[in-house]
Amino acid sequence: MATSKLQALWNHPAGPKTIHFWAPTFKWGISIANIADFAKPPEKLSYPQQIAVTATGIIWSRYSTVITPKNWNLFSVNVAMAGTGLYQLSRKIRHDYFNEEETASIKE
Amino acid sequence: MKFLKTFLNSPVGPKTTHFWGPIANWGFVIAALADTRKPPDMLSGNMTAVMCLYSASGMRFAWMVQPRNHLLLACHATNETVQLFQFSRWAKHEGCPRQLWPLMG
Repeated sequence: MATSKLQALWNHPAGPKTIHFWAPTFKWGISIANIADFAKPPEKLSYPQQIAVTATGIIWSRYSTVITPKNWNLFSVNVAMAGTGLYQLSRKIRHDYFNEEETASIKE
Repeated sequence: MKFLKTFLNSPVGPKTTHFWGPIANWGFVIAALADTRKPPDMLSGNMTAVMCLYSASGMRFAWMVQPRNHLLLACHATNETVQLFQFSRWAKHEGCPRQLWPLMG
């Protein structure tokens, strides 16, 4: 019973014998690299890069449901990308625009 | 005029997500090009290396997906080039890792 389910996954049109599996798998690397970069100080983050990551994640979440074959691996990875991108953006924005107020009030 | 009409109504045209997905991916390329002016100590080795693997597999994906997506293929080919360049800048800045020194002679 379990083997037939595994077989079904193995032979799936978006399964591990196809690029439809490996492209999203490599894409997980982007989210993982971004999570590793949570430790980076916000000054070293790149606005263009994080905006690209977020926007791609959002748009591709939709794209992955309308291509053939429909690709849930791709869907989930793009949702994760949008999530990590939004978090990194919030870190950098908070640092750039809200820390200024703190330092300004200290100066006063 | 006819070309424009064909393009607008194409199954991979601007009325479809098959167009806007790849357009969004050009964001990576533009971001990378903007970042080529940044000093290498601001580059993320992790992210750049991952992008190289990602665009390599993305080129194949764009070719094999239904419908075949040439715009996406062009995007990933360009991104691969820029990311490899950025990776070389980062690697040069990092220098040779200690573990490889015996090999360097």
